[in-house]
Amino acid sequence: MSSTDGRSELRGTRRAVLASVAAASAAGTSGCVKRLRNVVGREPSRQISLEIKTVPADSDPYASRIARHLAENLETAGVAARVVPVEVEELYRQVLINQQFDLYVGQYPEARHLDPDSLYGLLHSRFSSESGWQNPFGYTNLTVDELLEEQRTTAGKARREAAAELQRTVAQTVPFLTVAFPDVLCAVRTDRFTKWRTFGPNSAVGLLSLERLPGADFSSDFASDGAELRLATTDPRITENRNPIAAEFRRLGTFIDLLYDSLCRRYSGTVNPWLAETVTWATDGRAPTVNVRLRDGLSWHDGTPLTADDVAFTYAFLADTTLGADEGSIPAPRFRGRVSLVDNVSVTDDRTVRIRFLPGSEAVADRALTIPLLPEHVWSEKTGKASIAGIEVNGETTEALIWNNPNPVGSGPFRFERSKPDESLVLSLFDDHFLVRDRGGEDPTGLPARPAFDRLRVQVVSSDVSAVELVSNDDADATISNLSAETVPRIARSPDLDLIAHRSQSFYHVGFNARQAPLSNPRFRHTVARLVDKSFLVRDVFGWYAAPAASPLAETRWLPEDLAWAGADPVTPFLGEAGEVSPERARSAFREAGYQYSENGKLLTR
Amino acid sequence: MSFLTILAEVVAVVAAMVALAAVGIVGADRLRRLRRTARLRLRAVAPQLAVLAVVLLVNSAIRDVVPEFSWIIGWNITGYIFALEGTFVAFVQSFASPPLTAYFSFVYVYGYVFLLVFPLLAYAALDDARPLRELVIAYSLNYGLGLLCYVLFIAYGPRNLLSDLVESLLYTTYPRYQLLTSRVNTNTNVFPSLHTSLSITVAMLAWLSRDQYPKWTAIATFGALSVVIATMYLGIHWATDVLAGLLLSAASVALARRWVGDGSWRS
Repeated sequence: MSSTDGRSELRGTRRAVLASVAAASAAGTSGCVKRLRNVVGREPSRQISLEIKTVPADSDPYASRIARHLAENLETAGVAARVVPVEVEELYRQVLINQQFDLYVGQYPEARHLDPDSLYGLLHSRFSSESGWQNPFGYTNLTVDELLEEQRTTAGKARREAAAELQRTVAQTVPFLTVAFPDVLCAVRTDRFTKWRTFGPNSAVGLLSLERLPGADFSSDFASDGAELRLATTDPRITENRNPIAAEFRRLGTFIDLLYDSLCRRYSGTVNPWLAETVTWATDGRAPTVNVRLRDGLSWHDGTPLTADDVAFTYAFLADTTLGADEGSIPAPRFRGRVSLVDNVSVTDDRTVRIRFLPGSEAVADRALTIPLLPEHVWSEKTGKASIAGIEVNGETTEALIWNNPNPVGSGPFRFERSKPDESLVLSLFDDHFLVRDRGGEDPTGLPARPAFDRLRVQVVSSDVSAVELVSNDDADATISNLSAETVPRIARSPDLDLIAHRSQSFYHVGFNARQAPLSNPRFRHTVARLVDKSFLVRDVFGWYAAPAASPLAETRWLPEDLAWAGADPVTPFLGEAGEVSPERARSAFREAGYQYSENGKLLTR
Repeated sequence: MSFLTILAEVVAVVAAMVALAAVGIVGADRLRRLRRTARLRLRAVAPQLAVLAVVLLVNSAIRDVVPEFSWIIGWNITGYIFALEGTFVAFVQSFASPPLTAYFSFVYVYGYVFLLVFPLLAYAALDDARPLRELVIAYSLNYGLGLLCYVLFIAYGPRNLLSDLVESLLYTTYPRYQLLTSRVNTNTNVFPSLHTSLSITVAMLAWLSRDQYPKWTAIATFGALSVVIATMYLGIHWATDVLAGLLLSAASVALARRWVGDGSWRS
């Protein structure tokens, strides 16, 4: 939070003025008292002070380096900047839920299939007072709101133009600064499973498309003839909390996507039916509608049948986790943008739902079909206000948002078996899942008819080096959290290990809290953005395993040419050379933005 | 390599070191006498041992809860520590070389455990019960006060904030030790450095018992200083943590000496 350096100065001034005036006021002219009030009533300006929150280097080797880079350059520019390392769960609680931050460095929570509409949830001002991944920046820009609506309701060239203009405005006004798209590095063993490269191990679909290496020996895994897939991660959150809508506990949702299924899944470039058997589009006026027929005989992990009612419940519940019990609504802190596409869901019969969308195009609307389905019989009991030991403690949140969901009941191909907080998680194959049950015949998903492993074990380690060590000692098959470029030689030296580099759309960014001065000023944010040397970071911090970018959609076909990276940032070029900011250029940029410096080079609040 | 393998390795190495030191420092006469009177002496320090046992049990019982609690009420001082001391740890690391890294890693893992375990045996073999009582109480105070600080202060070590300047030398050189240390500590608990405070506690008490064990005084002093340097050299602790550790050890020793009055082996 902005500190109050200069308060003492203020008191000093007040005292001095009071003393001198006390003497003079013996004469007692009212003009003098007026002058006193004019002087004392003015708050002197003080140095701008900013905190940059991020996770410690142990849990993400890159984020803390980006934060330090920015902090050093802010200092050069005369801002008192401090990096505050915070545990990952706590970081996102402070940023997403409580909005207690000035700046933070983090990753976008989706690794693939970004779309102009992904920015709807992230930036629309209608979400600025909600908590979660919906507009965590408190950014309000009416032009952006209009463009967000426009890309939702148009198609073809018009949508392309709206998306381009949207990206330009976002790059100019910087609610968050896109830094780089990382190549997710993974160390994998090649002596048990293959096809690591199809989708990369960092997604549920990627894990489901693995295949056993012919002739590999799995006899040590189980008493029976099953195979176990062992993954190493530095992120302990899944071992403590398995709530699909708890934003502060989810990274990319890889394991949640194994536990919870959705109507459709997006992979290989298209939205593919998953729990849906058929998806039939129609138009109702300007509003697209879709009839979804579920596969036959679906059930939840606890044996309860999965019906169309659960589908309708999920959409209603995510839009308002109180289910209308209260006057105000409390929407889920994840999937907000996608759920907001849906106008209404009606149940036709046990296996069929009809989803009516708000006016727009099908291409946008189908994003709403990929959210995880929740069982009504479990979550309908979580709509009450959050309480501890029966005492309501927080009227602004429901039980659903704070529940750790220790024994998740989903319908995904893997079910929860056990976990040990901060140590491990074990999932096992759900025998009733359609991928397992319909083995043999032609499967519409295009994935192997049955997952290659019967059990999944996730082990938590304390740093990326330990994760690689675990894989190289044959205690794990692959790493799943971010590895730093420094681990690459270690992987290359080990004969059984393979290095996979998979470009992720989960871009690193610096988020600004636009709710408070000076970060509420787009000119100020724009100038701060020019203190980050993305090329330098990609070379020095990411060891070239990343691509610098000027737009969150840089890795999609929606990037306009004028925002393409051409050696330097096209909108917010760096104010210096080779990572070092030039103090003169920084000062003149801040002065141009309307800020002033003190005599000793400190940037002042006003 | 699993956690248990590493643990067994540490136990074996430290046991060998203690055996060697027992013969060389305590001497055969004292050891024989200790063997005869062990039961009696154990009973005599039972109250102090009970205190230590309680502290250690509480420590291990609430170890997992402390960080959770800390994030609710604790004060994150990492940024302030950096503002205070800057890149001093990076300066220490500028002297890094493979032999030094091997030495300090050995000291941090094995040497430290040896420093803590050996004096328990050595002081039990003395005719005076006071040094052992003081040692056990001082250990308890270190752990107890240290735990309190861990609740009140959240601090990450230099390797977690300054990863561009400070290398996590122990874990990048010997990743297997992280499997061990992550079981006994969380990375938010660096202020104060318990490695420092416990080692210095041992060294201070070794100085007080220099008439009985002059060789041990020399070894403990050298060992404790090595541990202190190792904590910073390996990028695990800030100089501030070390200073706080020194204060903690001084306080623990002073309080322990005050509370322990009796020097006889009767209970």
